[in-house]
Amino acid sequence: MKAILLICSLSLLLLTFTAVADADLPKPKQSPKASESRVVLHTSLEIAPDTKLYEARLQIPQSQLQNLRAALDGAGGNSTVAASVTGNPTRTIIAGSLLFLSLSFAGVWLARSRTNLGAGRTRKTIAAALIVTATIGAAAIITRGNAGPPGYYRWRNLPQSLSDGHSTVGGLDIEIVADNPNSYNGMKLLIPLRKANQGEE
Amino acid sequence: MQSTADLKIPAWTASPARLDRSRTTLFVLALGACALGSAVFASWLPLQVSIVTVFLFAGPHNWFEFRYFLMRLPVRFGNSRNFFLTAFTGIGVLTVTYLLLPVAFRFGSWSEEAWTIVIAGWNSVLIGWIGMLVLLRARQKRKSDWSWFPAVVLAAGAFNWFAPFFFSLVIVYLHPVVALWFLDRHLMRTRPQWVRTYRKFLVILPGLLALMIWRLSQTPPLVDDNGLFWRITQHSGAELLPSVSSHVLVSVHLFLEMLHYGVWIIALPFVGSAIARHGKANQQFWRPATVPLFRHPRGFPRLVAAMLVFAAILVVVLWFGFSVDYATTRDIYFSVAIAHVLAEVPFLLKML
Repeated sequence: MKAILLICSLSLLLLTFTAVADADLPKPKQSPKASESRVVLHTSLEIAPDTKLYEARLQIPQSQLQNLRAALDGAGGNSTVAASVTGNPTRTIIAGSLLFLSLSFAGVWLARSRTNLGAGRTRKTIAAALIVTATIGAAAIITRGNAGPPGYYRWRNLPQSLSDGHSTVGGLDIEIVADNPNSYNGMKLLIPLRKANQGEE
Repeated sequence: MQSTADLKIPAWTASPARLDRSRTTLFVLALGACALGSAVFASWLPLQVSIVTVFLFAGPHNWFEFRYFLMRLPVRFGNSRNFFLTAFTGIGVLTVTYLLLPVAFRFGSWSEEAWTIVIAGWNSVLIGWIGMLVLLRARQKRKSDWSWFPAVVLAAGAFNWFAPFFFSLVIVYLHPVVALWFLDRHLMRTRPQWVRTYRKFLVILPGLLALMIWRLSQTPPLVDDNGLFWRITQHSGAELLPSVSSHVLVSVHLFLEMLHYGVWIIALPFVGSAIARHGKANQQFWRPATVPLFRHPRGFPRLVAAMLVFAAILVVVLWFGFSVDYATTRDIYFSVAIAHVLAEVPFLLKML
């Protein structure tokens, strides 16, 4: 109980200093400038040959167009997530204080449980749970990073498929790039093709 | 020579051990079929299956859950008086305030940040209430070590204040999983020989989920161009996680929801009927007499029977509502259903 009181007092003291130190915080990051290129949406693309057409044609499903419009409206990408997590200093202060208290309580609990032989199993369980959580988190990050079969894998047979008259489907990042008056300003489709002897890069 | 007519062949009866093995096999097969079927349907036609699933099973699963809670309710609270008073007060206050949130949003002029703080506040009361219940439960179970819980409660509070809407989304996804925990505790009490098999099944679930996510991660978002489809994708967190395909979100949530329904409607009554066939008790779920509050000499038979009948009528009313106006009824149902989400907390704690 004394340890808990001590931690609470120390946390209050620290909060007092935090208010002073807050003035030294760096400026919040600005949203990306219009001149910077950025990926706004990940979707899929099918490339199919058509012998009846005279001009290349880009077909966009209505739903995909709406998604693209929504993604463009949230300039800077994923603004909902960013805004909901780091929106308000009051919330950040409350969350930070609670996190600090949580870690303090966890520390006290760990320190006390070391002296308690009966709690060994519980500690192992919690440690295992933390490891599992960290592993799942890491796996999620890797998955979000498009780990596993790389994106270009799906495009590897594109030239052969086109010459055979078949279609190919793969992932597509829609990127908005800045206008450049000195170069071609039409839409450009970049296909991640690898040479056969190039292997994994 | 003895004629065949004189031979007396005793009727074949399975030994209890053999019966138990066959029931375990049936239980495992039912679990596997339920999980696989849910995964396939949830991945294949998430929006359509979601509509049908909620229509058919939302009400009945609440009835089964209500009956289960009645079964776990003691005739007299005794030492648990404070625990149950806190539990029921919390359920009442949190449900009413939750139902008032949309009203407040409609009639008040809230900035986005102010509304976020209101949501974080409600979540904080929920976390505080759970913390209080754990504290009261810990006092009853002196042998168990609950000293780690304040750290968890505070960490949950921190996460809530960092991202209140994400915290709410986590509850949406965690709530179906709680049913699996209930089943685990129920098996521990009634069919301990099944627990090992059941836990092996639980280990498979994350793999199944990972497979679903992997298969669906490249799929385009679901077309939510009508109000109902939009509601379903929003419920699964499509607005909060725009970079994740809404197909993945709806499928994963629907899969968990189907497991949740499966536990309350199939698994727990099945375990009860398995016990009944072993002669321990008459466990037909539709009989009010299976509820201790009904059959106990100091119980409340009329009240229990009336509540169960009233709950059954509500299920029929819900089906009628879904038939007339599915979208509106769905909205009302998922608002009111917060009460059963909250009620699971104290009853699960009592089983730990």
